[in-house]
Amino acid sequence: MNLRETRSGAVTVLTLSGRLDGLSAPTLEAHTTRLVAEDAKRLVFDCSELNYISSAGLRVFLATAKQMQSLGGRCGFAALSPATRQIFQLSCLFELLEVHDTLADACA
Amino acid sequence: MPVPENPHLAAELTLAEDLALLALDDQTGKRLDLPPDALAYGLAGAIILDLSLANRVDTDQQQLTVLNATPTGDNLLDPWLKLFQSVPQPKSVAFWLRELALAQATIHEAAVDRLVQRGILRREERRLLWVFGVRRHPTVDGRERIEVRTRLSQLILGNDLPAPRDAILLSLIHGCRLSDHVFAGLDLATRQGRLKALASMDLVGREVSAAAVISLDVVGRALSEVPLSF
Repeated sequence: MNLRETRSGAVTVLTLSGRLDGLSAPTLEAHTTRLVAEDAKRLVFDCSELNYISSAGLRVFLATAKQMQSLGGRCGFAALSPATRQIFQLSCLFELLEVHDTLADACA
Repeated sequence: MPVPENPHLAAELTLAEDLALLALDDQTGKRLDLPPDALAYGLAGAIILDLSLANRVDTDQQQLTVLNATPTGDNLLDPWLKLFQSVPQPKSVAFWLRELALAQATIHEAAVDRLVQRGILRREERRLLWVFGVRRHPTVDGRERIEVRTRLSQLILGNDLPAPRDAILLSLIHGCRLSDHVFAGLDLATRQGRLKALASMDLVGREVSAAAVISLDVVGRALSEVPLSF
């Protein structure tokens, strides 16, 4: 998995590409834990280039969204790739997480 | 406070222990009446998910992958990690659920033993008709059970996101048909959608649910084929 962090105003965007699995999930978790500790209020995952996600990867998404919610922040997921969209559908995450069609929508 | 002899007793309950505890009747300590094999698949899923939370295995729709074969030090989990590691090609979650479900008695007994050692349950042995031994496990301290129920009930009735472990436990409870028992008295009529969504979040929990349905269908078909004769 490749991870790129950018800022768009008050929004921190994490662009993920490749595979988010049990081997790469700890790297993402360490990164998001740091952002939460730095008091990030708005975090968006750009999932347009994410072509695989395992249970461990989904767990990091959920843990981050939960942490952000607990601290009064928001966490969104944008531009889901077909593979990510399928997993989100199976896991009913559209009903529980904030999902946007485009990165621009998520950052608005 | 006495120091537990086993180091893992100092840690929080495993999912297998949580599930074994919730599957016992509060008052009598008898195992709750669940559909055939439902608890077997639930406990099997709990073992896989305990290993997943310990970063030893990962799962997707195709297979269970061993990430790290280093023993966890927990004798409830390590034999299964060794088994997962021993196969030359990764197998599906459904395959492993079937395999582990065959060892239901062993897993359940180990989980209940651990709950007895922790002082959460006590063991009662009775004789029925002076011959048959009946073993029950009444609760010593209902705190753990109440705490889990309260936390998960709030999750279902509210709109907060679940912590990953709570989502997993809820999916196991739902998958092995324990929801009606665990949440008895809770008005779930308007929260069925939320319960279903929360219970669907975890892949292994969904597979437990599917396996329990298949098992129920098999029993149903077998019963329907039994000739009725009076």
